[in-house]
Amino acid sequence: MLIFEPHIHMFSRITDDYEQLSLAGVRAVLEPAFWLGQNRTSVGTFIDYFETLIGWERHRAQQFGIHHFCTMGLNPREANDDRVNKDVLAVLPRYCEKDSCIGVGEIGLDDQTKTEEKFMSEQLELARNHDLPVLVHTPHRDKMKGFERCIAIVREANFPMERVLLDHGNEETIKLTRDLGCWSGFSIYPNTKMDPARMVSIVLEYGIERFVINSAADWGVSDPMMVPRTCVKLEQAGVPREKVEQLVWKNPIDFFAQSGRLNAEMLAQPASANLRETFEGNSVLRGQDPDKL
Amino acid sequence: MTAAPAAGMVRRPMSKSETHDLLGPAAALADELLHELQKDRTRLPVLFPGLPRRTGKNAIGGGVRKIGDATVDLDAFRTCDLVAAHLVASIDATEAELVDLFSHGDLEERAMLLRSLNFLPLGGITNNLLGEALRTNVVLHLEAAMCDSDLLARTIAAGAVDADTANRLLLKFAFIDMDLTRAFGAESHASETLSTMLQDLATEREAAGRSVWRHTYRMLGLAPCAGAFARLLGGLEHGDDGVRQAAADGLLALRASDSDAATLIAQFARERSPREPRAAIKKQLEQLATN
Repeated sequence: MLIFEPHIHMFSRITDDYEQLSLAGVRAVLEPAFWLGQNRTSVGTFIDYFETLIGWERHRAQQFGIHHFCTMGLNPREANDDRVNKDVLAVLPRYCEKDSCIGVGEIGLDDQTKTEEKFMSEQLELARNHDLPVLVHTPHRDKMKGFERCIAIVREANFPMERVLLDHGNEETIKLTRDLGCWSGFSIYPNTKMDPARMVSIVLEYGIERFVINSAADWGVSDPMMVPRTCVKLEQAGVPREKVEQLVWKNPIDFFAQSGRLNAEMLAQPASANLRETFEGNSVLRGQDPDKL
Repeated sequence: MTAAPAAGMVRRPMSKSETHDLLGPAAALADELLHELQKDRTRLPVLFPGLPRRTGKNAIGGGVRKIGDATVDLDAFRTCDLVAAHLVASIDATEAELVDLFSHGDLEERAMLLRSLNFLPLGGITNNLLGEALRTNVVLHLEAAMCDSDLLARTIAAGAVDADTANRLLLKFAFIDMDLTRAFGAESHASETLSTMLQDLATEREAAGRSVWRHTYRMLGLAPCAGAFARLLGGLEHGDDGVRQAAADGLLALRASDSDAATLIAQFARERSPREPRAAIKKQLEQLATN
């Protein structure tokens, strides 16, 4: 089964993780720009990070046959930091135009401050300007209120709901978002937020339409294999394979295809691990093999 | 990377119409983007990243062509590469603008800029971006910077990079095992210093049980260094057909420049020839055997 992992922070992971993901059928990953565990003090460190997402990290993923995409944005935590927030917004347009950038995110709310709301609104406008969907981080504390506020901000911005992925949902928030027309993301963690068994229950109750699941694996206690693990649990619970495949492959592609920069055809083959032969399907060597005279 | 272009060298970039004519259906979009840039050139960093998806990455096609001073293989140049070149040339992008694009560019943007160097005047930007490519091992970028054109040979000939950098650029082909024939005219920059570098790398690779870059043999033949002759002769006995062929090729090059060696080479070739199983290599040996 092919998997599109729609939220994983490979910047914080090692190459073994890439290999495991590849062996488990992960053909593509989406890496949202995020908080690195401590606040940055200047815009330059954001720039370097953004460039890692479009450069080295993408190249690294390709070595394991994995297509790498990203979303660009100012995360809600650092949106509160006046040392960087305005300057980061100023540099984002150039990064939103990068080929592998297929959305704006993670934006949203964390501490649910007025400043976070302001920068979330501004980044909805950024997404509109660049014709990109948005990946919205929702708070881990006071989650329901945070979800309600995120939804209200999206509505106030008159941003199309079908281009919004509200992430880090659970059994409670799904009641709120199911009929909104937006997409719902569930981050499957080893111990917190959501686990495979609970995700199975949600799928059995609500189905899989406009759902995506992810590991949100990062620098903390997390497991990049959570999507493949959940696939196994779903099949064991009797969810038909085609439904599981829609959840972990077709749905994330459909959502991010709204960027106009991604389609299933691009992912038909693994990313090339031998750049001398092809790069994104483009053969610059025209069949030459350097190992043969 | 401190070399300046040599005074008086020919620096004729392509004319705008030359590139425009090659763009085909992408010409209209290129015109539109150029118009936008002429109104506001600060839009360059925002417009540039989208070129591959907007113009496509299909090969221009048409084989090897002379465009301005450059000789390029258009089968290896993509539409986005040429649109990129057309735009930066048409607005006379400054070195600072081009370095900014490269520094903050993604893998594709950097490849497009490196391909564009073929169509820009040789100079500081050539020196700068080739230096950037040299610092990486990204094959896509090294190919874009040095393959399928004569950019490297022209750059070295013009003195737009210093001798040490030139040798390190050529050595990079060996390091990542790229075919040197893709850098048109590059082997004319063989030198004893480069051969020593290649010989050292080959020895290091052999010690690690790895294969040796095939073009090493030819470069050693063109500009022998200490130990080159022994490596070339030894190559004739290698179990790998490709190595024997490369060694014979190297000996042919050596023979052309060193008449003293020719007699000895002929002697070895005559001895080896009856034992050589491959017809193509046998033919090379027969050539070598004719003193």
